[in-house]
Amino acid sequence: MAHSHKHDTPVETGPSSKLISLVAQFDDPHSLVAACDRAREAGYKKMDAYSPFPVHGIDDAIGIRRTRLPFFVLAVGLGACAFALLLQYYVNATDESPIFPGYKFFISGKPLFSLPANIPVTFEIIVLSSAFATFFGMWYLNGLPRFANPLHRLPMFRRVTNDKFFLVLEAEDEKFSESRSRQQLEEWGAKAIEECHEDLTDQKIPNGFRLAGIVFLFALLLPPALIYRVSGMTYRQPRLHVVPDMDWQDRYNTQTRGPNIGTPESPRYLFADGRAMQRPVSGTIARGDLTESDEYFRGYKTGTLPVSEGAGPSAQDQDGQDQDGMATGTTPEPEWVDGFPEEVVVNTDFLKRGKQRFEIYCVACHGYDGNGEGLVNQRAVALAAAGEAAWTAAKSLHDPAVKAQPIGRIFDTISNGRATMGPYKDQIPVKDRWAITAYVRALQATGIRTPQELAEANSATPEAGQ
Amino acid sequence: MHARRPGKITSPIVSLSTSYVKLVPLGLVIGAIGLGLAYFMSLPQGGLKRFSYSYLVTYCSLLSMSLGCLFFVTVQHLTRAGWSVTVRRIAEIFAMCLIPMFVLFLPILLPVLMQRDDVYQWVNAGWLAGDREMFREIKNAYLNPSWFGIRIVAYFVIWGMMAYSFFGKSLKQDKTADPTLSRTMQKSATWKMIIFAATLVFASFDMEMSLSPRWFSTMFPVYFFAGGVMSAMAAIILTAALLQRSGRVTDEITVEHYHDLAKLTFGFIFFWGYIAFSQFMLIWYANLPEETFWYRFRMGDSASPGWIFWSLLLLFGHLLIPFLAMMARTVRRNKTYLLFATIFILCMHWVDHFWIIMPQLNIEMGATDVLGGDPANNPLPFSWLIDVPCAIGMVGIYVALFSGIAADRPLVPLHDPRLEESLNYRNA
Ligand code: HEC
Repeated sequence: MAHSHKHDTPVETGPSSKLISLVAQFDDPHSLVAACDRAREAGYKKMDAYSPFPVHGIDDAIGIRRTRLPFFVLAVGLGACAFALLLQYYVNATDESPIFPGYKFFISGKPLFSLPANIPVTFEIIVLSSAFATFFGMWYLNGLPRFANPLHRLPMFRRVTNDKFFLVLEAEDEKFSESRSRQQLEEWGAKAIEECHEDLTDQKIPNGFRLAGIVFLFALLLPPALIYRVSGMTYRQPRLHVVPDMDWQDRYNTQTRGPNIGTPESPRYLFADGRAMQRPVSGTIARGDLTESDEYFRGYKTGTLPVSEGAGPSAQDQDGQDQDGMATGTTPEPEWVDGFPEEVVVNTDFLKRGKQRFEIYCVACHGYDGNGEGLVNQRAVALAAAGEAAWTAAKSLHDPAVKAQPIGRIFDTISNGRATMGPYKDQIPVKDRWAITAYVRALQATGIRTPQELAEANSATPEAGQ
Repeated sequence: MHARRPGKITSPIVSLSTSYVKLVPLGLVIGAIGLGLAYFMSLPQGGLKRFSYSYLVTYCSLLSMSLGCLFFVTVQHLTRAGWSVTVRRIAEIFAMCLIPMFVLFLPILLPVLMQRDDVYQWVNAGWLAGDREMFREIKNAYLNPSWFGIRIVAYFVIWGMMAYSFFGKSLKQDKTADPTLSRTMQKSATWKMIIFAATLVFASFDMEMSLSPRWFSTMFPVYFFAGGVMSAMAAIILTAALLQRSGRVTDEITVEHYHDLAKLTFGFIFFWGYIAFSQFMLIWYANLPEETFWYRFRMGDSASPGWIFWSLLLLFGHLLIPFLAMMARTVRRNKTYLLFATIFILCMHWVDHFWIIMPQLNIEMGATDVLGGDPANNPLPFSWLIDVPCAIGMVGIYVALFSGIAADRPLVPLHDPRLEESLNYRNA
């Protein structure tokens, strides 16, 4: 082997460099253990034994103290437990946190933070981090990693993986004195003794490592570079389906017929009414679907919903589901609330949230200023003018008629839509709809004028929206 | 390093010697008094039904423990383990108790064969009235008295033969010192282990899970097994410690053996917890009424709310406290500490079976419906004057069985080829 050949003449070590230990060789495990016992009794603390296989009783013989590792691992394990539980609490059960909001999803009707569901994750995190703590803690306590050990420079020591046993007395030990220790080792039956000298070349990082390190550092740049490249790019190809089973699931949708488990002649279904999924048991309501307060969920004062000509509002009407999304102004309207319901607190954060949501959902038509100059609206108006489409121009939110509307009415527009504007109640959570409403009010208060007002004031044609 | 001991027995006393002559009758007397008192006290509270349930609790605790010992013996042969030789005989004797335990099951089995539904409601063929036909056919095809009786006999025949073959060969080796016997046992341990697994699975279904015949959990046998092995390890430690305290096998069982047995106990404490939680979690998460009712009743959301206390007792007493209490190396090597710890663990093992079995009594005696009923009519079925004497009596009988089987036979294998390895065994 090239490696061992290179060190057959130990040029790097020399008596000139500092002596760090005396290495004594023994021929069998028993004399090694006996020598270790003697060394321990003689008061040596810093020593180590090396053998080709684990020797029973060697720990006691060299007086190895019980390791601190278990306590370290216990601490890490407990920390991991707390971390895992907090993480899950934060992610599953909070949605208004300063850094990023969590995901308050109701899953199978379980509480947002429910211990049984969190135990597997907690358990795995504890196991993983304890394993890491054990492994790297062991490294740390043993002073690893190391590129080389000067012991390996001694030709004699090479047989430690084969048939020889070694006791190494370190020069740092208080009891150590070169001549006396050597004499003692001989007394204890050492077959051969060699000096081990400090070898500064050991501290050098091997060349291969430097190169690998540089390559690795450059490789680290790849992911950000790739992300930078694709950000803002437009793709013409359909998206990649990495897990097709998940994208196209073999399942039945809610309001469809269930699978026929009988014969084609006499079909039988899982449920008597043939549906793929049952409707909720009457008199029950799913978690998170309890929308009692009319003020908060529908924007009008309780009990002011006018009874329409047909049947009155049924149980399902509660959340406005069966109401016509494209309600026209001619239907009688309830009495809209003219303030914010008690569930929301309007402050700067709330308005910021409203601005952010407005810019996601509304600017396409209404424009950043809310004056109806959104790009979609411009294009639709142009198409309508050319007779290629039918479109009611998006209203300016600064239109005096809109400004005069009560708050609840604006909330209702967002929730259920108006004319060409679609309903948003299924996309935007109720709280965010109120935030947008607040922001619309704020926009209206800025004094931005409608394009017409602008035109009149400037007696010029309205400019294209920015 | 310690000098290597030769593979020879050096303790002055290695058997129960003559004391079994006293222990057997003593155990039987305690058994008679305990069971008699329990039966007498149950008369006004449901009679045979009440007594049988209490009896079944301790019976199943001891049965699963004996099965755990049989598992221990089999696995030692299977893995050609050397360390455990000196404690294996104790496990062999516990496993041998499975043979007389068939007789102890007769008070449960005979009423079933006589079509009495005191314990197992499925004995009454009408138990599923109102359910769908297909369901009824499938359940009744498996759960009917004669087929149940055949299965029970088969289990005990198989376990008895397994236990006897290990014990018998081991005893033979004591006399002949023939090392090939070890090899034969090792070979047969392979297929025996498979048969053991199969019988244990169905026995746990039959004896405990079928108490609530609508409920099913394929994880239940593993749960039964985990608790059984845990208690078996504790029982071996306890027995070894008591034998050594009375001056027997003092040299052969060393602190290293205690250390290893305690490690196994620790492992199975957590394995039990892992399985118990997994079974609970899957049922809790899927949330299917035909499975959840079993846990709902035990979580106190029921006609008998006291059960939540027992569930929590298990969580803390059977898992968390023993987990911490058996973790440290120093305590695993402390015989006096282990003595108390294993007694505690064995009590918890009993609580475990109480928790599995007794709620069913609650359901049958009180609540008309699993999820309803009036708690006042349905107190927790724990009675100091029924369940405790019953348990003590059964343990008395079990001790008598153990002593009778051990008799003046050696409590360590005398000429096992790996005896020397076991005597010199050391934990690193
Ligand atoms: C697809 C384009 C489009 C989007 C997106 C859109 N709107 Fe509209 N909006 C319209 C149109 C068109 C009208 C005019 C309807 C009419 O006059 O009948 C309108 C009207 C309105 C009105 C006045 C309703 C009335 O009573 O006259 C308000 C207030 C309003 N939108 C708010 C919003 C808010 C807030 C959002 C964001 C959640 C939004 N819109 C998103 C197209 C849109």
